[in-house]
Amino acid sequence: MAQQSKEKINWDGYLTLAGAILLVLVNVLLISGKMPAYYRGILGFVGINIILAVSLNLINGITGQFSLGHAGFMAIGAYVSALISIHLKWPLYLALICGGLAAAFLGIVIGLPTLRLKGDYLAIATLGMGEIIRVVLLNLDITKGARGLTGIPRTTSIYLVELVAFITIIFMVNLMRSTHGRALLSIREDEIAAEAMGINVTYYKVFAFAAGAFFAGVAGGLFAHLMGYIAPKNFDFMRSIEILVMVVLGGLGSITGSVIATIVLTILPEALRGFAEYRMVLYSALLIVIMLFRPQGLMGTRELQIEEVRKIFSGGGDKDARD
Amino acid sequence: MPETNLLECQNLTMNFGGLTAVANLSFYLKKQELVGLIGPNGAGKTTVFNMLTGVYTPTEGTISLNEETISGLSPNKITQKGIARTFQNIRLFNELSVLDNIRIAFHGRCSYPLIHSLFLTPKFYREEKAMEDGAYELLSLLRLEHRLNDKAKNLSYGEMRRLEIARALATGPKILLLDEPAAGMNPQETEELTGLIAKIREKFDLTIFLIEHDMSLVMKLCERIMVLDYGILIANGSPEEIQKNKRVIEAYLGEEV
Repeated sequence: MAQQSKEKINWDGYLTLAGAILLVLVNVLLISGKMPAYYRGILGFVGINIILAVSLNLINGITGQFSLGHAGFMAIGAYVSALISIHLKWPLYLALICGGLAAAFLGIVIGLPTLRLKGDYLAIATLGMGEIIRVVLLNLDITKGARGLTGIPRTTSIYLVELVAFITIIFMVNLMRSTHGRALLSIREDEIAAEAMGINVTYYKVFAFAAGAFFAGVAGGLFAHLMGYIAPKNFDFMRSIEILVMVVLGGLGSITGSVIATIVLTILPEALRGFAEYRMVLYSALLIVIMLFRPQGLMGTRELQIEEVRKIFSGGGDKDARD
Repeated sequence: MPETNLLECQNLTMNFGGLTAVANLSFYLKKQELVGLIGPNGAGKTTVFNMLTGVYTPTEGTISLNEETISGLSPNKITQKGIARTFQNIRLFNELSVLDNIRIAFHGRCSYPLIHSLFLTPKFYREEKAMEDGAYELLSLLRLEHRLNDKAKNLSYGEMRRLEIARALATGPKILLLDEPAAGMNPQETEELTGLIAKIREKFDLTIFLIEHDMSLVMKLCERIMVLDYGILIANGSPEEIQKNKRVIEAYLGEEV
């Protein structure tokens, strides 16, 4: 037993440590103002994508409800907050919260009737919902249709994106440590057994949809105020798929997996720019390779934990039987 | 009335389209009684369980627990009122640990609002600790404490059956419904299970209602047996009475030629 633990390298611990160091380095660069605008832009997208992927993981990976409509929730948040900023001139944080609440409300309205559906059927229904939202935005006067909404104050800072991403992750981590998080997991595992154990399945499914939609809406608001311009084409079906790929690649149900996959998948297309026209081919090939060798995603359902780092320094002590 | 019935079912009927799975069934369960429900395959035994636990709403008739009508409530509400069950084809939360399987079942008993978990209040830690302690207690009772962190899907068959019982107990039931608890067990395991069922009834003051095909278990354990055939209750009495009952013998072995 002791020999086994010596041979086994504590990858989780080193990964967590590397992540923490990276985070500090990036922020030192950012605060010192030495980071080029191009990298700052990518960093903003990384943060927004983390919020989107983690919140979609709540619906797809943790509660097991296959949703393809995340871009729709993001669009609602983006448009509502942008319109509030343009017309009412409310401060950014209020606009973001309103955008999130509008998306959450839509999540509940759409969630209630479609939650009877399972698996593929739910996926198709949410796909339809996302498309309806896009088409409505395309045809309304107030959203200026396909021309898109211009003149949104560019008030999103990288720090704000980081803060919201941090809040989203903390929300998820604390949720998953609690009985409410376990209730969501039980729905994924076996709905009938979950009900028989006294869990209100409908309530928790709607909750997952509403909370996931809320954070997607806030991410949409951040996106709108980062770009200064939004159009319905920013929130099409491909956007939902992009977020879904991040969640699946990271491991359905793993929060840290979603974060890692999001960072990799957001930076990768930029890093591959040197290959010009072969860029997307390489990107897609890489996805196929990862899925072939790790079909459960990078992290499976595991999580990286600070606790693991401590073990590196304490020389990999024996695992407590209860932990 | 000296003794009140804990559970009272009146004229329960369950139709699926043209098929009547259970017809006009009336029965009662007294406090701390251990009752068996037997009958040939397809007699409607599991349908009775599904009605009691709210999976099906009976087409006709009422179910009352402690003189309160519970038919028509959703399964999770009925569980919180005090009826817990195990499943014929094991339904554990396979990808979750044994501990989590049990903790999930504690959900209805000590639940705190979401806000407490988001801000990690003392109440959160207190309630989680209570759940964990309760889970350890149940797991050691059912001799599963050494599998605490294993995924449910990696347990042996007997352990899975025991975990199902532990999980049902964790909901804090007044009535425990066991759907074929000994299915697939060897004689020795069945023997152990028989002892276990008697033990948990004593310890938790439970009323137990069980479906079982293993007659040695049923005859040894049950104080009263009900026999269902084609959805109709054909006998209700002590094990000795049931063994001699002519209609029961006919239902199982067919009529004499």
